[in-house]
Amino acid sequence: MKVSFFETARYRSPQPLPPEWPVPSGDYDREAGAHAYEMMIERLQFVEQLGFDWVSVSEHHYSPRILTPAPIVSAAFIAARLSRIKIALLGPIVPHSNPVRVAEELAMLDTLAQGRLVVGLLRGTTNEAMSYDLNPQESRERTDEGMELILKAWTEPQPFGWQGRHFQYRTVSIWPRPLQHPHPPTYALGTSREACEFAARHHLGCGVSYGSFEVMAKATSYYREQCARHGWQPAPEQIIYRANMLVGETDEAAQAMLRKVPGTAPFAMRAGVREAISTLDSRNIAGEARAPNVGGALPTTFVGSPDTVVEQVRRCREVVGAGVLDLSLFPPGSRDVDPLTDALELFGTKVLPRIRDI
Amino acid sequence: MAFSEGYVEADGFRIRYLEAGQGPALVHLHGAGGLRLTRAHDLLSSCFRVVAFEMPGFGESPENTRTSSMPELASTMAQAVTKLGIDAFNLMGTSFGGTTALWLALQAPTRVLALVLEAPAAIRPEGATPPAGTPEEIARRLYAHPERQPATPTLDPALRAKAQRLVQRLRVPDRDPDLEGRLQELTTPTLVLFGTLDQVIAPAMGRIYKELIPNGHLVFVYDAAHAIAADRPEAFTEVVVDFLERHEAFVISRTETLIHP
Repeated sequence: MKVSFFETARYRSPQPLPPEWPVPSGDYDREAGAHAYEMMIERLQFVEQLGFDWVSVSEHHYSPRILTPAPIVSAAFIAARLSRIKIALLGPIVPHSNPVRVAEELAMLDTLAQGRLVVGLLRGTTNEAMSYDLNPQESRERTDEGMELILKAWTEPQPFGWQGRHFQYRTVSIWPRPLQHPHPPTYALGTSREACEFAARHHLGCGVSYGSFEVMAKATSYYREQCARHGWQPAPEQIIYRANMLVGETDEAAQAMLRKVPGTAPFAMRAGVREAISTLDSRNIAGEARAPNVGGALPTTFVGSPDTVVEQVRRCREVVGAGVLDLSLFPPGSRDVDPLTDALELFGTKVLPRIRDI
Repeated sequence: MAFSEGYVEADGFRIRYLEAGQGPALVHLHGAGGLRLTRAHDLLSSCFRVVAFEMPGFGESPENTRTSSMPELASTMAQAVTKLGIDAFNLMGTSFGGTTALWLALQAPTRVLALVLEAPAAIRPEGATPPAGTPEEIARRLYAHPERQPATPTLDPALRAKAQRLVQRLRVPDRDPDLEGRLQELTTPTLVLFGTLDQVIAPAMGRIYKELIPNGHLVFVYDAAHAIAADRPEAFTEVVVDFLERHEAFVISRTETLIHP
């Protein structure tokens, strides 16, 4: 089992902030932001020492909750300051990107980071459609086309044009190319049948997040079926499960932490927007329709003492089949940083060594 | 725009063609399945005088037992173009007809203004097999979206077999070092298109044309299979028209992105 630490930069606001997304830019505190990024590097040096395999960063906009609107920038900065750990971009939001630029930036970054990059490509959370004026009804198609264009840009040796449905280029010929050959380990992230099918067709890994083991298993088994249809089998390391984890000294301590997790949605939109986008942003798990994540906190699927959590990891491996766990060890956006350091210490010393061989 | 049917006597054959539009001539040579108009032909005919030939031995024309090589077929088609009173022309070839078009451009470089190759069959991966089976099975392999194609009357099996014999006889080897050597001397502006979902000829073949042909250009059409113009007529036409009008300068975008004045 490989273990990844999901880094969110942990911005601590000096004053309470309005809960609605987008959060006003004028409420940002420069010193708090600078401090968040400094602490990020300190924390990641600790994460690297503890023996995590990867550090992961995501892309989120217009909010203090995860202060990484440009994961390429975070990843480059991390790669320059840490020399051993792998850096996983999970991931660039493809539909509102310039896919050729994403391909170029990842190629540069992989080379600058001595081939330590892992790439996850995704459609993005529901709120992110509004960051760059993306029509949510177009986002699935734009994601599929963009992902294919990124792969093509990395691997096609001759300059080529692209007559897409949503993207058009007359001549693409990227320099540099990724250091890893043919490209960094790449995943299509998401539980949808489209993501699973894309991953299977293009021999990519698959990543699922936050849901219960049984629900995530629907997606991962669909992914494996599709891979078989295309004549190959994924390795366990080609399935990532991103999840929230609360490890306590005891089960009771962990449950107490769980009770204190706020019940608010990560990027809480106002009611009118939330209602409207629920009908415009269609999501599915291996083809089964599900509502977009717009209300309520994300679940925590690993909770307990080190012994309990180790058993949960074992069960997760059996049920979901993931060979990589990408973990948030304390709620993102929580203003308490010390509990995170404690959680890292506890996880790193009492859990991590015991789950490596699962 | 409605296409009108005509016949021209050339090189001892009576050759059928469909024609529409005005402007610079754009001659089209079809694939192994024969002449079939797509929406792209309609769109192209608003900028060009499109002449889509039915090569001798295809469709309802008598069996062609005379033509014994692709260069010969190319020469016959060049004579057909001459007989229509056309001297210089743009040339487009699809798959099998792409090979014909290549040979024609090599033989008559002063006449071909620009060359468009739609999933050309001249360069193929070693050991690849042509589409076979029932018309339905072949359709599935040719199109990304077979359900979007209009139902075409299936050709009489005897007529289909006759055309297949010709195709087999004229089929060029997967790789032809002689042809590929000559491509390096071809100065004609050439656009090669492959659909990203082509299961008949691997899109990876596109790069070989791009490497060899000095003024060659490669474009992938997303979400299209082997029958690119049929699968994505608008996307196909946009880049083909641009290339025929501007040749290598087509790399300079003229797409308008102004949202509001």
